[in-house]
Amino acid sequence: VSPAADPAVISPQDPTLLIGSSLVATCTVSPDFPLKAQDLYWTLNGRRLPAASYAALGPSTLSVALAHLNGSRQQSGDNLVCHSRDGGILAGSCLYVGLPPEKPVNITCWSKNMKDLTCKWAPGTEGETFLHTNYTLKYKRRWYGQDNTCQEYHTAGTYSCHIPKDLALFTPYEIWVEASNRLGVAVSDVVMLDILDVVTTDPPSDVHVSRVGDLEDQLSVRWSSPPALKDFLFQAKYQIQYRVEDSSEWKVVDDVGNQTSCRLAGLRPGTVYFVQVRCNPFSIYGSKKAGIWSDWSNPTAASTPRSERVAGGWDPKGGEQNTTLRRELKQFFGWVKKHAYGCSNLGIKLYDQWRVWLQKSHKTRNQV
Amino acid sequence: GDSWGIFTFLCAALCNLPALPALNCSEELGAGQSIQQTYDLTRYLEHQLRTLAGTYLNYLGPPFNEPDFNPPRLARAERVPSATVDLDLWRGLTDNARLAANYRAYSRLLCYLRVLDGQVGTAELRHRLAHFCASLQGLVLSIGGVMSSLGYPLPAGPAGPPTPPGAPAAPNDFLKKMDDFWLLKELQTWLWRSAKDFNRLKKKVPPAVVTLRLEARGF
Repeated sequence: VSPAADPAVISPQDPTLLIGSSLVATCTVSPDFPLKAQDLYWTLNGRRLPAASYAALGPSTLSVALAHLNGSRQQSGDNLVCHSRDGGILAGSCLYVGLPPEKPVNITCWSKNMKDLTCKWAPGTEGETFLHTNYTLKYKRRWYGQDNTCQEYHTAGTYSCHIPKDLALFTPYEIWVEASNRLGVAVSDVVMLDILDVVTTDPPSDVHVSRVGDLEDQLSVRWSSPPALKDFLFQAKYQIQYRVEDSSEWKVVDDVGNQTSCRLAGLRPGTVYFVQVRCNPFSIYGSKKAGIWSDWSNPTAASTPRSERVAGGWDPKGGEQNTTLRRELKQFFGWVKKHAYGCSNLGIKLYDQWRVWLQKSHKTRNQV
Repeated sequence: GDSWGIFTFLCAALCNLPALPALNCSEELGAGQSIQQTYDLTRYLEHQLRTLAGTYLNYLGPPFNEPDFNPPRLARAERVPSATVDLDLWRGLTDNARLAANYRAYSRLLCYLRVLDGQVGTAELRHRLAHFCASLQGLVLSIGGVMSSLGYPLPAGPAGPPTPPGAPAAPNDFLKKMDDFWLLKELQTWLWRSAKDFNRLKKKVPPAVVTLRLEARGF
């Protein structure tokens, strides 16, 4: 018990109110203090309230009327304070003015390597309730089992939670999020999933991008499958994306399949490219479903060789024969650019053969 | 960035804690260095507290974050150890008493701060508070290290319940805000005072003096 009594008492003490509601608060000075109602005044969040809203309810009790309250300025509550004439603080009350929470939405979950589950969600449409809102992620096995509560929050952003263990495979889970604040509770819709449906892996490792001999418009990409895949009966499919150094436009190569290498063609000579690879574990344990794409690997850079020959680069002695050749070449380049896109090896092989032929014929021509 | 600073201070402090509290040359050498480090740590904490206090007081809202805010210190707030002391009394403190006052104060303040950490609303604040508590823990260890290396016993266990008996938790949210305000205020005052305490101690245990003593013992 504190030796000195508080100078005054405010009622209501720390109330919770809906936005737009009104409130009448009273400040009663303790009998030990020689203060009268006319010696008092009120402030709300540091601003003096107009005397017109005051009323003396007794010799040492002053009330104040607040109407159409706005949402609390800070989540710790609005500070309604009763002062003595000289500005001293006699008592205070924290007003919590806000809205009940909205149903959390957009629950998405993923499992890294089938060992754990991370889920994230979004607060309801309004978002701003002015009150501190607590989120609890709950889950249970469908048809049986009791509700479990997720413990590790904020692992993938503010509205996220991580379940590290004790998850069963081949069984559907029900997952939902409860939002609660001083004014009420809101429960999201239930999401049903099987861990095997939302599996993702680490990105592929050891991504190497290298030149293909002297070929100016090709780069070879090689990578290793994520180590976790070895443990499971996974197949993996990959995707590559690449862009030129000073562009933000990524080109995506979709038909990589489950190889761990690919030849990029139709590139610009003497240009630096950034390449990334990602992995999707599918056909997990024989199911035909796709998993969730991993993050992209860290970008790997490589440059295509610059053409050493003069632009157009043919022996000027060629003359008319050269113009025809040039035209055919242009056409072929066009064809190659169209068909050598992606990792389709047929196009690459043809192209390589043609280049070899070209070099040979160029040599013979010069020898003539 | 900041974490490395704390880490080096903690290591230095821990390294200066000898196995036996016996006085010998190496310990006095260590004391000079660790007094300097403790001083540096109080300056660092002072800087950190400015940001933490700013954020926290904004969270409490006006009038708590107004620069001239000076609420009455109600009797209940006395449980937070006060740094303010009579000047002559302060000057006359023995090294042991001076160090012990600092050690006791920060141990108590750390307890109260940790309670705060458990209750506070926003994630950003919790993060800042946690970081500050870690740094404050480093300071307590550092002071303990100085005391041990000078052969002084550490004051009796600061590990009590967060709210010591006789001082109940705040009965309402507004009074709790006032308690929080005074906690931060006392922390500021203590850090300001500690800088002066350790400056004074630095002058009494400089490395140069220790070298002379070593030579004398060589005879």
